[in-house]
Amino acid sequence: MNQAVRFDDLKALIVEDNPHMRTLLRALLNAIGMTRVFEASDGSTAFDVVRDRKPDFVLTDLSMMPVDGIDLTREMRHSPMSPNPYIPIVMVTGHTERHRVEAARDAGVTEFLAKPITAHNLYTRIAEIVERPRSFVRCDGYFGPDRRRRREESYTGPWRRHEDIDDIALQ
Amino acid sequence: MTSRSNRSDLPGPPKRARRGKIIPATAYPALARHFHARELVRVLRSEDAIARAVRVVKLKQAELRGAVLDHVARMQQAAQAGDNAAIYQQAHEIRGFAATAGMRATGRIADGLCKYLDKAARSDAAADPALVTLHLSAIARGAHAEDEESRWGDQIAEELAALVARTLADLNVSATSPPSA
Repeated sequence: MNQAVRFDDLKALIVEDNPHMRTLLRALLNAIGMTRVFEASDGSTAFDVVRDRKPDFVLTDLSMMPVDGIDLTREMRHSPMSPNPYIPIVMVTGHTERHRVEAARDAGVTEFLAKPITAHNLYTRIAEIVERPRSFVRCDGYFGPDRRRRREESYTGPWRRHEDIDDIALQ
Repeated sequence: MTSRSNRSDLPGPPKRARRGKIIPATAYPALARHFHARELVRVLRSEDAIARAVRVVKLKQAELRGAVLDHVARMQQAAQAGDNAAIYQQAHEIRGFAATAGMRATGRIADGLCKYLDKAARSDAAADPALVTLHLSAIARGAHAEDEESRWGDQIAEELAALVARTLADLNVSATSPPSA
């Protein structure tokens, strides 16, 4: 078997209040050669790590105290102190109820991964954020990754919402 | 996620639409442009990496099984206190990694319990204590069973999920209903 490649210049942040999940995620990232893996047990300490360590992507749980993954995501997207509002954020959580998924989407997560995780699913999500980076959208009430994976330029309606963006201007 | 509809009664484009701005990935520091991005994707999609990861998970399974049993014990304590919120919290932890610990059925049953407690709370309905007790018992027995991954475990999980679905139908809770205050 070939010796594993090392990615010493790539950095990841794991935000998870369950210590067993933190060690599992760390081990899975180590298994693909990532050596610079930082950890935080909730959103408040995570933001400090993001600011100080500048990870290339974040794996975050949803439910944490005192700052959960939703608030952390909003902070990273909107705070003037955020070093990278475009940072890829993968929410890794056992919450699969629709209202939770929508809340995560609307907070600005890049990808959503339901627990229990498998190595294949985790690695696929990370590959997605690398291979297919989303455009970002800035409009009233939202800044974050385009929430659609596919956008049809020729679509002319009907529109489901009055606040749908019409005639989006490219930067 | 919402999907497009072809219903003819939907409104057309708003007359004065607000303009949003799209920022393409080429305009911000995307990970795709990292020096090692291509190699990273190659590794992520390689069989070698998956095989290493499977070995990693197997090495951690004993630790994870112990953690599941810890959460089961705390869940049972919460049940004795009649604290559904605490039961939910422990069941939520269990569903998060029981399958990774090799306890698939236990995780499924914990997930069913979480979904039931979540929807009951959002509908301001009292959770059926018998239903909760049934799930707690199944979770505890499953977590301690040597043949947890047998077809019996899956069958129990499916039957409990059907029971939860029928109970939720009786609650008449819509999946899209707003959360209770």
